[in-house]
Amino acid sequence: MSELLERLSMLVEVGKINKVTPYPPEMKDMDGASEITQQALERGIDPQIILNDGLMPGMSRIGEKFARGEAFIPNMLISAKAMNAAMDHLKPFFDGGEMPSKGTLIIGTVKGDLHDIGKNLVKMIMEGDGWSVIDLGTDVGGDKFVKSVNEHKEAIIGISALLTTTMLNMEEVITKLRENNSSTKIFVGGAAVSKSFSEKIGADGYFRDPYSFAQSFN
Amino acid sequence: MSKVYYQRDKNFEPDFEQFLRVLRRDIPHRPTLFEFAMNDRILGKLSGEKNENKSSRLAPFRRLIKAFTNAGYDYTTISAWRTNTLDFPKGNMAEKESRSLNAGSMITDWESFEKYPWPDARAGDYELYNDLGKLLPDGMKLIASGNGGLLENVIDLAGFENISLMYMLDETLTTNIFNFVGERLLKFYEIVASIDTVGACIVNDDWGFKNQTMFPPEMLRRWVFPWHKKIVEVIHRAGKPAILHSCGQVKDVMKDVIVDMKYDGKHSFEDLIIPVEEAYDLWGKRIAIIGGIDMDFLARMPVKDIQRRSLAMLRKQLSRGGYLLGSGNSIPDYIPDENYFAMISAVKNI
Ligand code: B12
Repeated sequence: MSELLERLSMLVEVGKINKVTPYPPEMKDMDGASEITQQALERGIDPQIILNDGLMPGMSRIGEKFARGEAFIPNMLISAKAMNAAMDHLKPFFDGGEMPSKGTLIIGTVKGDLHDIGKNLVKMIMEGDGWSVIDLGTDVGGDKFVKSVNEHKEAIIGISALLTTTMLNMEEVITKLRENNSSTKIFVGGAAVSKSFSEKIGADGYFRDPYSFAQSFN
Repeated sequence: MSKVYYQRDKNFEPDFEQFLRVLRRDIPHRPTLFEFAMNDRILGKLSGEKNENKSSRLAPFRRLIKAFTNAGYDYTTISAWRTNTLDFPKGNMAEKESRSLNAGSMITDWESFEKYPWPDARAGDYELYNDLGKLLPDGMKLIASGNGGLLENVIDLAGFENISLMYMLDETLTTNIFNFVGERLLKFYEIVASIDTVGACIVNDDWGFKNQTMFPPEMLRRWVFPWHKKIVEVIHRAGKPAILHSCGQVKDVMKDVIVDMKYDGKHSFEDLIIPVEEAYDLWGKRIAIIGGIDMDFLARMPVKDIQRRSLAMLRKQLSRGGYLLGSGNSIPDYIPDENYFAMISAVKNI
């Protein structure tokens, strides 16, 4: 059993989606994350165990490599594809198709800013680490964050910004969130954002990459 | 005509040779500046003309050249978006302060690739660069740049997340897209570099982000760099220097830039990645280091700090050579005007 799950982790890590996808080239015509997940289910392995011990470690390993500079954005994207292909088999086993989760992250790119790759990567890694993620999209102002956190009281917040101008809008969002509930945990990141800036605007933390963010809760 | 807010010196005479000296990593005979692009408000303040005059084909450039001259540059940078030359049609992209690199993709598979209206790189108004010669003060040249670079245009055409998966899942389509864009950019640079009024070219192509290159170096070496190498070759063949403008963390490929592509200068630096002072110590002996006063620093620090840092960099230029003073990227409208003036006035205070 553990061999199969170990293989599944590896397939997610390298981004082998299914048998017909040609990547990685050295694994041509081999079973991918999709087929192996199916096989694991057929062998009677608990879906929760497949998720926790097969898929999640694979996603975490690619996130860690990315944080160390040994893997790149496309590697994370293809790993996420492989993980999603596997999840399609698991979803029917969870209540209402919902995965059990570590907590909820509400994430969005700040008002004025439409850039989304960084935010999407954070979402992918956090989901891969067992979080439910509510993606508010781009160009998100304080009111929208407040509305969402009022619907999910225990959620933490992640805000992304690309430029100095839009990063200044983060402060306004944080003020609104604090007025609404002073104990909401708020984290920031993005190209122009630094640790000192995050401290200045009263965020609870700054992370340079999604993996360190996820790890800070483990 | 409104007021000119800043002038380097009433008697300032552009001298493109000073810029060329720096690109050869020599010491210029006097302080020398660089800027790639400036916002419209600052162009208005520098030229004394609030709005661009669009009454004729050449009219808008009169103001641009005046702004660059008053600020004290030895050239005017002309981006292809101003010249009606090479432009790849894009899908609709919503844009605020930033935009999504996934938006507007027109090529997602073979069918859309074949339908795409590929532009003819020869068809533009290249005569314009020649005609602008009439407006240039003595000693000044144009520096020409493209309407986005190779990787940038491919990302715009295919979408960032699409191309990320495509190069792994369909190598042949990926190769075709890069070749179709690459051939056209190469032609663009071959034509502009051969024009007398153009003294140098900027090849603008963002490769990195905060932590590393956006794609693995092997991917860039296979699809992106060979085209850059050819582009630099055609610019050099015309006897002109080539500057790479590439943002983000690109240290893993700097050797490719210097040794393989043979760029003469590197533009775009950020403090959160590698401060320009360190970049100059690290690479300055092998490639000219251009600009680098960090954007966030320029946007938010007090004038006196900007002056101090700019002066210190200018001293390096005048003692060790191979450096041009300017911003880490450009002067967008969120840089306070007085901060920009504080940076360029270092040439007066040295
Ligand atoms: C690609 C790019 C562009 C593209 C697309 C930009 C866009 N989407 O709108 C183009 C070429 C169009 C462009 C244009 C401009 N750009 Co630009 N651009 C970049 C570049 C090279 C990469 C940005 C990117 O896509 N990164 C990819 C993602 C994956 O990275 P990321 O967002 O940082 O996310 C990672 C982490 O930060 C983290 N993260 C992100 N969000 C969050 C949130 C949380 C909660 C956590 C925990 C972590 C986290 O996780 C991600 C993965 O590790 C950056 C350089 C840089 N340092 O990033 C400059 C940069 C952002 N650009 C810059 C500038 C100045 C501009 C322009 C204003 C230039 C001009 N004069 O026109 C324009 C304006 C933007 C516009 N209108 O589009 C400056 C901004 C400086 C500043 N301090 O304000 C930068 C930093 C470059 C520089 N030399 O200084 N740009």
